[in-house]
Amino acid sequence: MNKVSTGKVIVCDGNEAAAWGACLSRPDMVAVYPITPQSSLVEYLAQFIADGRMDADLMDVEGEHTVLSVLHGAVLAGARTYSATSAQGLAFMFEPYFRTPGLRLPMVVSLVTRDAVSPTCVWGGQQDAMTVKEVGWIHMYCETQQEILDTIPIAYKVAEHPDVMLPVNVNHDGNYLSYGVARVELPDQSVVDAFLGEKQVNWHACLDPERPMAVDPLTGGAGGIGPSMFVKYRKGLCSGMSEALRVIEEAHADWGKRTGRYWSPLIEEYRMEDAEVALVTIGSMTGAAKDAVDAARDGGKKVGLVKIKTFRPFPAARIAQALSKVKAIGVVDRSVNFGWNCGPVYQEVLAALYALPVRIPMMSFIGGLAGADITVEHFDGVVDRTFRLAGGEMAAGPVWLNEND
Amino acid sequence: MPEAKYLLVGSSHAALEALRAIRLVDPDGSMAMLTRDERLPYSPTILPYVVSGRSGSDQVLLRDPAFFTANNCTYVPNAQAVSLDPKAKAVTLASGEVWRYQSLLIASGAAPAIPPVKGLDGVKYHVLRTLADAEGLRAAMGSAKSAVVLGAGLVGLHAAENLAEAGLKVSVVEMQDHVLPGYFDAKASTRIEDAFIKHGVDLKLKRKVVEVSGPAIRVTLDDGGVIEADLLLVATGVRPVTDWLAGSGIAVDKGVVVDEVMRTNVDGVWAAGDVAQATDFASGKPALIGIIPTAVEQGKIAGQGMAGDSYRKDYAGGLPVNTYRFFGRVALSIGRAAATDGVEAVETESGAYRRLVLEGDRLVGYASVDEPFDVGIMGELIRRRVDLSECKDAFLARPVETGRRLMSEQWR
Amino acid sequence: MGAAFDSISFKASLCDGCGDCMTACSEVKQGASRISIVPGAKAGSFETAICRQCGDPKCVQVCPSGALDKDGGNGVIGWDASKCVDCLLCTAGCSYGGIAVDPKVARVAKCDQCDGDPACVKVCPTGALEFRKAGSIFNEYGAKEDLFVPGLSGCQGCNSELIMRHAMRKIGRNSVLATPPGCIPGMGSVGYNGKTGTKVPVFHPLLTNTASMLSGIRRYYDRIGRKDIVVMALAGDGGTSDCGFHAVSGAAERGEKVLYVCVDNEGYMNTGMQRSGTTPYGSWTSTTPVGEHMKGKTQDAKNLPLIMTAHKCRYVATASTGYMEDLYEKLDRAIEASFEGFSYLHIYSPCPTGWRIPSSKVIEACRMSVDSNFNPLWEYTNRSGLRFTHSPDNAYPITEYVKMIGKYRHLSPDQLAHIQAKVDEQVALLKLMAAESPPPQAAHRAPAGSSTPAGAELTQPARREIARN
Repeated sequence: MNKVSTGKVIVCDGNEAAAWGACLSRPDMVAVYPITPQSSLVEYLAQFIADGRMDADLMDVEGEHTVLSVLHGAVLAGARTYSATSAQGLAFMFEPYFRTPGLRLPMVVSLVTRDAVSPTCVWGGQQDAMTVKEVGWIHMYCETQQEILDTIPIAYKVAEHPDVMLPVNVNHDGNYLSYGVARVELPDQSVVDAFLGEKQVNWHACLDPERPMAVDPLTGGAGGIGPSMFVKYRKGLCSGMSEALRVIEEAHADWGKRTGRYWSPLIEEYRMEDAEVALVTIGSMTGAAKDAVDAARDGGKKVGLVKIKTFRPFPAARIAQALSKVKAIGVVDRSVNFGWNCGPVYQEVLAALYALPVRIPMMSFIGGLAGADITVEHFDGVVDRTFRLAGGEMAAGPVWLNEND
Repeated sequence: MPEAKYLLVGSSHAALEALRAIRLVDPDGSMAMLTRDERLPYSPTILPYVVSGRSGSDQVLLRDPAFFTANNCTYVPNAQAVSLDPKAKAVTLASGEVWRYQSLLIASGAAPAIPPVKGLDGVKYHVLRTLADAEGLRAAMGSAKSAVVLGAGLVGLHAAENLAEAGLKVSVVEMQDHVLPGYFDAKASTRIEDAFIKHGVDLKLKRKVVEVSGPAIRVTLDDGGVIEADLLLVATGVRPVTDWLAGSGIAVDKGVVVDEVMRTNVDGVWAAGDVAQATDFASGKPALIGIIPTAVEQGKIAGQGMAGDSYRKDYAGGLPVNTYRFFGRVALSIGRAAATDGVEAVETESGAYRRLVLEGDRLVGYASVDEPFDVGIMGELIRRRVDLSECKDAFLARPVETGRRLMSEQWR
Repeated sequence: MGAAFDSISFKASLCDGCGDCMTACSEVKQGASRISIVPGAKAGSFETAICRQCGDPKCVQVCPSGALDKDGGNGVIGWDASKCVDCLLCTAGCSYGGIAVDPKVARVAKCDQCDGDPACVKVCPTGALEFRKAGSIFNEYGAKEDLFVPGLSGCQGCNSELIMRHAMRKIGRNSVLATPPGCIPGMGSVGYNGKTGTKVPVFHPLLTNTASMLSGIRRYYDRIGRKDIVVMALAGDGGTSDCGFHAVSGAAERGEKVLYVCVDNEGYMNTGMQRSGTTPYGSWTSTTPVGEHMKGKTQDAKNLPLIMTAHKCRYVATASTGYMEDLYEKLDRAIEASFEGFSYLHIYSPCPTGWRIPSSKVIEACRMSVDSNFNPLWEYTNRSGLRFTHSPDNAYPITEYVKMIGKYRHLSPDQLAHIQAKVDEQVALLKLMAAESPPPQAAHRAPAGSSTPAGAELTQPARREIARN
């Protein structure tokens, strides 16, 4: 067993923690464009570079579209890259964002999640990240500042794994995590270096005169080999996603060995041993939710919690297994699936549980939109309603937690 | 038995152009050039300058052995063709050697036409068609004091000038009433004649030779006049060398009969140059026009046909051209420069002589003495039948300038 | 075979009949001038007679003495005085008056191009005479490797394919090539279904992010010390001037060391000839059709290269395949500049299919687009300012250009007047910029590997400009 490192301790907000995570991962290039609530993150990075703490090419570019585009070029030339964005920035980035997984470009981009315009809003919410869940990026949601920092090196390890070769979004909630301050332990650079090992970015495709090739020739069209080749590429991406479930677990375990911090890689089961009902959460709301679970347990209610860390690839089997024995489930989202008119996480969990032989009543709760707080009291209400659901009361929903705040 | 995909009989301008045209299309097909001459290719036109000593025999050769190597062509000198069997596709040489071919070019040129003059075959006389002839004449000239030249065509006049300049007393006998008949009208010819007279040459125009005797040359004319000389040059024209085609089935009139793309009547056989009887540009009728520009054009067309070059164009007909230098002066003519019937002739006689011949608004001929013009440009105006109506006054007043303008406008 | 040669060209529209060329020739040759200038059909117009150094020279063929010969090295038809017997048959062979009698010495005289530095061209004050180096270019670059597959599926007469192949021959293998969606990848440069169409690293960026992706590539190669790679785009006008403009502008502003070649065919030709920001006023396109209520595009084109001059680029130039020497010289400078900063080359590229030009007339259209000032040729650097590389004076009226092109067939006199006015306006502005520019000495250093000293090439046209203005 490797020596567990205990690094320097600092107090910082989530954006700085992300900047430290990036810094320790030694990217060659950081491309930035400011947007609330990500802005201070890129300022930290710029300062790190200005101070010589970080040896990376800083590209202050004219927009998020270009942020991701320069990183595409850099990765194809052989660089490890990092950036971060939010909401409208992600929307503007969407065109290159869409092609990143198809090109199998291993890169890490933090999403400091925010509710998307309109209505005009610059505060936290996960509508931005949830809207791009089908594109092919790996999505990991962090609960704490420390987890943000630790997840970024883990994300590089996953992205660059030859069985994966996919871009990773490491997501943390705008406002609550981005600006919230906490104790954070900085691992030694040597620990991160040893963890990440040699950079592996462009073994499969590159733009190098010494290895001339066409990157992304036209593929498809009726007749010929095109459509079958296209299917091969699409299945390859699915395969990368499937493999990522394993690689994410391995990477978290490896990180834990080196740092002593074992983060649940796919889902975290909290007090689920004998739970009769379960909450499902994602991101920073989980802290308050755990408090509510503890309080309910103290009151004799057998409630547990499943936190989703890895949302893409979706750990459906693990979720089904974790929830298989409860009588009712309350899923709390910080964004909306329009059309289904419920939370997107709820929708995904519902689909995952279809594999079970029993049908477990479930309800969708939506809270924390536009920077609203989801308090312990809100979760108490969720716990109550979920127990009533378990007791046979009809499901209704979604329940908008902050509707009457 | 030697064999060539392309067999070229002859080695002067027509054959050389055919070679070039073939090689543009077919770089590899086997090729041989047979010549009755012992030398590398040269132009008969150069011979007067060899006679005068201006050009050395070794200086006038048009191609060197490296050229034939580079062009993958076997050059065979001393190879006089004596018969052709088109069925067997074979040419037999005087040596008995037989060459097989797939395509044959008859470019055997012309030889001096010897007039049926009584006694001529019994005396020693010179002709001027080969380098050997030129060398022989030059050698003879050294010891002679006087010469008589039969014929006042280009060869005769060039030689007469050479001989006169070498100090010989020279007489020229010509049947026609002026020198260079066909190329120049009487007024132009008179200027040329005057120059010869001024240089002491005795011109006997409108005279026929009735008898020649020897060994000391003695020429008796139809007016009873007698010319005695040390040296006799017969320059009464040339005739195509077609004797070797007898019995081959190749149609021969005055020369080898060819169509508009230089094909003979026999498959696989073409003809070009002085031996070929193609058409005259002006009349469209069969004609022998034995000058270099027609040989070049015909040789190119024949070569293109032999090699299957799809860019081949029909032969437009020969245009007479004469660029003539005499005693340092210049006489030029192109087209129907001497024509009088049905044409408009605009003549300038003060100082230099100029004669523009037009048919309506189109130039058909041009001659000058002592006033150079761009013969090639005028040739294009004639060949292309350029309508001069827009600029006729300017053209008549300043033909050189206007001609240059017209061609500059045409091809930038 | 296959060799091409440099030659003296004469542009009648620029000749003012001053005769300086003839004087210079006579002096250099100590005899009759080998070039003659003669009055043209219209008063004040002029024509010339000069040896064209024909590829199939009749003068040589008819020469009986072997005195004339075409030099396989430089293409000049040489005259050997010692072999010539003055028979003048060569003058019968020449259709241009290019070999003529010098009356003083009674011998023929012809142009020998003064060993590649013709005296007549040097003294021509109007630019009517030019020594065109297309032959040298053809020979030099014809021997270089073509970096695209032979079977690119461009339309017949495609000018963009010409630009691609020429540019990449020049740039060579040590390069990374972006070809954003459009005709250039559409004809197969990035290949199909797993097969490439190019021998250098090539990729489809998005239509919108070409300059950005290139920035990332260049930055990383610079970071790891591979600074000699040419990182470049062959991009269309739509992706450059419209939806991808933010990327171009941003990269230029940041001074990214990128060679950005915009192949401007004035619209989205690949997707079916739709309008772009560089489509000229009045032009038919499939989205600015001609009908009862609409007669082509109703707005003027944006002048993209001029916009780029405002970006403090290391180099900005316009070019045309109608003037290959100019294009090649600019490519040299643009490549060199791309190692120092953003380098922008805007190549006008008439499209036979989308513009309705016979494929055989595309290069003529290119030339006329320049000669009519529709597409003036100039270059710009921050240090030397703007200079014309092709005189904008004595331009043809715009009607001479638009009549060659089907997409303008419907134009009304008012529309033509509008176009002419806009062209004049644009040239006037460029002239102002050129007049305010410092003299170009030391503005450029000679590009590495350039066959001609750039300094010498630069000063001469500039002197002409000053003389004229």
